[in-house]
Amino acid sequence: MGLWEAFLNWLRSLFFKQEMELSLIGLQNAGKTSLVNVIATGGYSEDMIPTVGFNMRKVTKGSVTIKLWDLGGQPRFRSMWERYCRAVSAIVYVVDAADYENVHVSKSELHDLLGKPSLYGIPLLVLGNKTDKPGALSKEDLTEQMGLKSISDREVCCFMISCKNSTNIDTVIDWLVKHSKSKN
Amino acid sequence: MAQPLVKKDDDRDDEADYSPFLGIEKGAVLQEARVFNDPQLDARRCSQVITKLLYLLNQGETFTKVEATEVFFSVTKLFQSRDIGLRRMVYLMIKELSPSADEVIIVTSSLMKDMNSKTDMYRANAIRVLCRITDGTLLTQIERYLKQAIVDKNPVVASAALVSGIHLLQTNPEIVKRWSNEVQEAVQSRAALVQFHALGLLHQIRQNDRLAVSKLVTSLTRGTVRSPLAQCLLIRYTSQVIRESATNTQTGDRPFYDFLEGCLRHKAEMVIFEAARAITELNGVTSRELTPAITVLQLFLSSSKPVLRFAAVRTLNKVAMTHPMAVTNCNIDMESLISDQNRSIATLAITTLLKTGNESSVERLMKQITNFMSDIADEFKIVVVEAIRSLCLKFPLKYRSLMNFLSNILREEGGFEYKKAIVDSIVILIRDIPDAKESGLLHLCEFIEDCEFTYLSTQILHFLGIEGPKTSDPSKYIRYIYNRVHLENATVRASAVSTLAKFGAMVDSLKPRIFVLLRRCLFDSDDEVRDRATLYLNTLGGDGSVVETDKDVKDFLFGSLDLPLVNFETSLKNYEPSEEPFDINSVPKEIKSQPLAEKKAPGKKPTGLGAPPTAPASTVDAYEKLLSAIPEFADFGKLFKSSAPVELTEAETEYSVNVVKHIFDGHVVFQYNCTNTIPEQLLEQVTVAVDASEAEEFSQVVTKPLRALPYDTPGQIFVAFEKPEGVPAVGKFSNMLRFTVKEVDTTTGEAEEDGVEDEYQLEDLEVVAADYMLRVGVSNFRNAWENMGVDCERVDEYGLGPRESLAEAVNAVINLLGMQPCEGTEVVPSNSRSHTSLLSGVYMGNVKVLVRIAFGIDGPKEVAMKLAVRSEDETVSDAIHEIVASG
Repeated sequence: MGLWEAFLNWLRSLFFKQEMELSLIGLQNAGKTSLVNVIATGGYSEDMIPTVGFNMRKVTKGSVTIKLWDLGGQPRFRSMWERYCRAVSAIVYVVDAADYENVHVSKSELHDLLGKPSLYGIPLLVLGNKTDKPGALSKEDLTEQMGLKSISDREVCCFMISCKNSTNIDTVIDWLVKHSKSKN
Repeated sequence: MAQPLVKKDDDRDDEADYSPFLGIEKGAVLQEARVFNDPQLDARRCSQVITKLLYLLNQGETFTKVEATEVFFSVTKLFQSRDIGLRRMVYLMIKELSPSADEVIIVTSSLMKDMNSKTDMYRANAIRVLCRITDGTLLTQIERYLKQAIVDKNPVVASAALVSGIHLLQTNPEIVKRWSNEVQEAVQSRAALVQFHALGLLHQIRQNDRLAVSKLVTSLTRGTVRSPLAQCLLIRYTSQVIRESATNTQTGDRPFYDFLEGCLRHKAEMVIFEAARAITELNGVTSRELTPAITVLQLFLSSSKPVLRFAAVRTLNKVAMTHPMAVTNCNIDMESLISDQNRSIATLAITTLLKTGNESSVERLMKQITNFMSDIADEFKIVVVEAIRSLCLKFPLKYRSLMNFLSNILREEGGFEYKKAIVDSIVILIRDIPDAKESGLLHLCEFIEDCEFTYLSTQILHFLGIEGPKTSDPSKYIRYIYNRVHLENATVRASAVSTLAKFGAMVDSLKPRIFVLLRRCLFDSDDEVRDRATLYLNTLGGDGSVVETDKDVKDFLFGSLDLPLVNFETSLKNYEPSEEPFDINSVPKEIKSQPLAEKKAPGKKPTGLGAPPTAPASTVDAYEKLLSAIPEFADFGKLFKSSAPVELTEAETEYSVNVVKHIFDGHVVFQYNCTNTIPEQLLEQVTVAVDASEAEEFSQVVTKPLRALPYDTPGQIFVAFEKPEGVPAVGKFSNMLRFTVKEVDTTTGEAEEDGVEDEYQLEDLEVVAADYMLRVGVSNFRNAWENMGVDCERVDEYGLGPRESLAEAVNAVINLLGMQPCEGTEVVPSNSRSHTSLLSGVYMGNVKVLVRIAFGIDGPKEVAMKLAVRSEDETVSDAIHEIVASG
């Protein structure tokens, strides 16, 4: 990118909206599409159908326009996650904190994905969803069980949220908005 | 090269018309496709790149798996753009890539969202794409939306859903069938295209239920179908219903005919044409029914639109084959079409006229055609030549002018196929019309004087060698033949030498002169020519050596090679030069895939030079040789007739069997041609158990089983029966194939030791009276009839009971007798109350038979006929009556 263009982008960022691109992944039934709905409209519905493929949503928060690639979590789509994570501002990985049995599957899928050279250095946000359910993992347990400490080649952050009760959603949005600047 | 200035400008104009994508390269376009991944999308540029990709794909360019996947995923990124034009291109691109990319399922969710979008264009196109990539489970999820879309008020959306339904019916019929109610509602739509698609889908849903289709047609023919396209569909479905119900109605008016006739007054031309064509294609259409349809087609003939003229003349051409009389009204209009700019129309017009013309109009037509021939392409000329050939066979008395025409066009410029068609026609005319022989042969001789096609020259020389010596003055052909030895290439020279030898063998008076010519050929520059000349001089005794007997010489020159040429060729290829000479007896005589080749033969057009002397005769020859090679059948005498193969199994069963009936004086031999179509099996000890309990006069004498029947190698089983000599015994035989089955390892090709005995039921086989009759035509029936005299004439009258039509009765009688119809009398003009058929044939014992039958039909379709038989033997005349009386 030429200097002139960089300068233009800087000008644009001063006067116009900023853009960021996110990909939202995680095992099926972790709550990815619900999260999109909560971020976009604040609404929550118990009755969701599985995402077959991906949904593309644009959400504006303050001066930032967020492009969200909400990907299906079924096994047949997992090999395609990587395609939609290339060159995004951040990868948002959603885990069902109340589903102990699948946490290790979730962990191995995440580490497989992060091993791809094309995704080197992209910031990762891990969200433990469904804290409203009794017996949901704590942030420390989740960090431990997902092996987040071992990830050293990028910025990693972990929050515990509940889409149902809109717990901690603001924190997530703040984190995202903050990272939209670091992209350029 | 210097060109006028104006011309240059023209060139530049041409260039402006070229596609802007001409010459683009796949690699470069794939590079450009990276713009799909840009964070800031340029919708216009993306659309252009997709257009280029689509252009490449449509030009036949293929993408590798990796390329297709790469492009596909980057295209899916474009779902973020809200540009309607771009989204449309995205849909197209996904459709185009869907068969090659496994991951196409990834767009499902996005398409489902678009399917329920507020933008109509999104909805319609998303439905089309979604149905392309969907599978059964997904379909049940989106079924609800599709049903809604079918009755959507936007016609584009409704059409998209209906067309998708038509596609999905192939893969998920049970789901689509549940949409009947919605589709039915869509049939009533005001939008023309929706009505059309809905009708198409509704019919496909019900197509296997005859009653439902009939109901659909009944209700719609009364109702309001606005769209012309839908109306055309309805006409097609209606004629289908008519076809299926026609058998049920004995008399009275045809159902739905009024509807079809009403459509002839529709305002849309396509509906009028569709209706007219449907009427002409009705089973057993009467001339009263035909008239209105012919009238509108006649109007179309003078239309200013070429497509209408073409459609009309093509339909009339078909009608002319069955109802020549009905088309004669249009003859004047068609004659003006001979000069039509569109050559397809002109050719169809001319061939139709040739079919409908009567004997008196032939001369006039020929004059017109002569003017017309020079400016049409070869393939049309071939159609005309074929039409003239059949016309000539129909009116043998007109052979002179038709033969002249053929020889004239033979002299003009033309390609190989065209020339071959003409030569073939002349050969067939020579064969079938004895009077035409001498002039025809001379025309051929003149042709080879200046013929650029080696193939045609050699074929004609061969034909001359067979026919020439039998003419009144064989010597006049010698000059033409010997000229070839001077003027042509080696191949033609060699055939000329052979032809000369044939003249020498057949015509004693020419022998010395032929020897002189052959001796000159000994100095030819080509080996083959010299070899042949030497060989013939030796065999004919020209060099004073021992002369072989006349019979041997003729056998050598005219006898056909008693071997399948394919087998002979392979054997020669396999032969390694050694001390041991090649043994011609080692060549296998089994004719591979013979049943197949024969099955085609009856339907084939008469072949010209391709299979001299005549195709049917050569198969009889082949059979005769085959049978005489089997010692058990040696004393059966001369083979009288071999039937065409009759299939005893359904197509594509495990074993395919057909049977040929060989008729001898006192015996009948069934030749079962068997093919084993299972690679994993070897059949051994294959035989056919024939139960002749329903054929009292026959008794089984010999069975020749087949030792082994490996995969895909046909084999023959023979079963011979004795029957009373000279009696046309008839009967029914039931057949059972018995064999031992052994499993074969297909990788090694070796069979297992142990086999299992098994049997396979074949269909029944009948010997009928027609098997004792040879179809042999006469060129001039009247002469033949007069010459036969009244001495052995037998006349009687018969009632045939109620028949569907006169034509049907005539066909039934002709088939019963198995005789050759003469002078086109097998065709019954529509609506006629009476008809006379002239038949000829040769009956068992080589007795010529001529038959004249006068048919008559009365009000309640009772057919009666008067049968007059003349033959050389009165017992045979009686026998013919016997056949009819018992049939």
